[in-house]
Amino acid sequence: MLELAEVSTGYDGGPNILEGLSLEIEKGSAYCMIGPNGAGKSTVLKLVGGILAPRTGSVRFEGAEVGGLRPDQLLQRGICLVPQDPSLFTKMTVRRNLTMGAYLETDRSVIRKRLDVVFEMFPILAEKEQQSAGTLSGGQQQILLLGRALMMKPTLMMIDEPSLGLAPQAADQIFEVIEDLKTTGITLLLVEQSVERGLAVADWAFVLDLGQKRFEGPSDQIMSDPRIRELYMGKAPTIE
Amino acid sequence: MNILQTLILGLILGGVYALMASGLTLLFGVMRIVNLAHGVFMLLAAYGAFFLFTELGIDPFASLIVTMPLMFLFGVVVHRLLFPRLEGSDRYSEMTVLLTFGMALVLEGLLGFFFTGIFRSTSPAYATEAFLIGDLIIPKGQLYGSIASVVLLSGLGIFLGYTKIGHAIQATSQNRTAAQTVGVNVDRISTIAFGVGMALAGAAGSLLSYLFTFFPGQHWQWLAILLSLIVLGGLGSIRGAIVGALLLAVLAGFVSNAFGATWSTMTFYLALFAILLIRPQGLFGEKEAV
Repeated sequence: MLELAEVSTGYDGGPNILEGLSLEIEKGSAYCMIGPNGAGKSTVLKLVGGILAPRTGSVRFEGAEVGGLRPDQLLQRGICLVPQDPSLFTKMTVRRNLTMGAYLETDRSVIRKRLDVVFEMFPILAEKEQQSAGTLSGGQQQILLLGRALMMKPTLMMIDEPSLGLAPQAADQIFEVIEDLKTTGITLLLVEQSVERGLAVADWAFVLDLGQKRFEGPSDQIMSDPRIRELYMGKAPTIE
Repeated sequence: MNILQTLILGLILGGVYALMASGLTLLFGVMRIVNLAHGVFMLLAAYGAFFLFTELGIDPFASLIVTMPLMFLFGVVVHRLLFPRLEGSDRYSEMTVLLTFGMALVLEGLLGFFFTGIFRSTSPAYATEAFLIGDLIIPKGQLYGSIASVVLLSGLGIFLGYTKIGHAIQATSQNRTAAQTVGVNVDRISTIAFGVGMALAGAAGSLLSYLFTFFPGQHWQWLAILLSLIVLGGLGSIRGAIVGALLLAVLAGFVSNAFGATWSTMTFYLALFAILLIRPQGLFGEKEAV
């Protein structure tokens, strides 16, 4: 579905953050990227989401080269990014934020149907439909971001640090929502600071360091790999 | 002059100021640029209305249907030609200030070349007539200008609140990156917003042509007044620009009555300093995160 081949990129005129990164993602599964700060995890999402263009290498989605396309062009192909920065329209209502998610859809009846699906999936959003998004709690804002992403009807949803800045209870709630998203058949690519949470929800994991892929494998194996536990989860290997 | 008279005159003049300021604040909201050429764009339209009035006998209000679309197109061309060169610059905001400053100087020079530096004004009959209601004097020209401003600002409100492009402009204004992530082509929307801002400057120019006398170098004075209005309201907030315009126009009226007309203009500049000292984010603005 998505294939990055020997991709290098960075910000503005700065050095490369990704250095010849290659990885592949299959349709319908959930993936998680882990690694230390500065490994380039969020940069991968920005690259695939069209915020950054590759300097070298290729980004192919469903067989076509998509590297360097604008975010709106990528959305039309089904790629959506839920960024880590505060990215709600805080002065708009919850409902308007959601309908902005379907900005590229022109059929109003389709937008209404998607809205119904999102409200059914996240009743809290239906409850606060007319409330300004800026007045929601951190957890509710994150749910709204995921709901807005669903309105785009993506085939690949990339979520950057969904639990960042949330209280543990709210973070648990977000991961329940992500579990629900898995049942919709959408391919998920997740970057998460809480490695254990991220791996628990994913089927497959990539370990990035210094802009390159160090390991990859089923997330349960990555989780139990003593080297990875020591290097990236701050836990000493257990003696068995 | 009694208090009610001053209040009414201030409010109707404030309505016109609100129209003048709306384009400036819209551009700041969407593109985060302070368009230093906004005043000269208004004068460009005012000279256009002056030309149409003196050469073809077209009323300043009728000239709106010419100045607004022409200024919109001019804005689209200017934005497409000049602004993409600055995209990606680390100093985008500073560069746009220099660019619009340069545009203002060039246009001021061109206006001076074609129309000379003498004071101009259109003179439709209603510009010097007034309604008398009891002791109250309501100048027809100012009242009509204010009504036109209310109609145009309502149109702007409907456009922003109820159309897809309007929603995209609002979204880009609130969070440019988020707008991109939902599929808004922010470059295209910025161009449209620039055109809309210029169309509003065009409308303001047509009204200015009979409400005030004007000459090419006067745009700096207008810019200073409009900046004080939008800083008071909160940069980027159209609602703020309207409230700021009404408040300061009324205040300037009372200051003029009490201390003389010279101090009326000073009101705007003093208000600008006071706002920046007391509440830099303005009435409807948000504090910048540090």
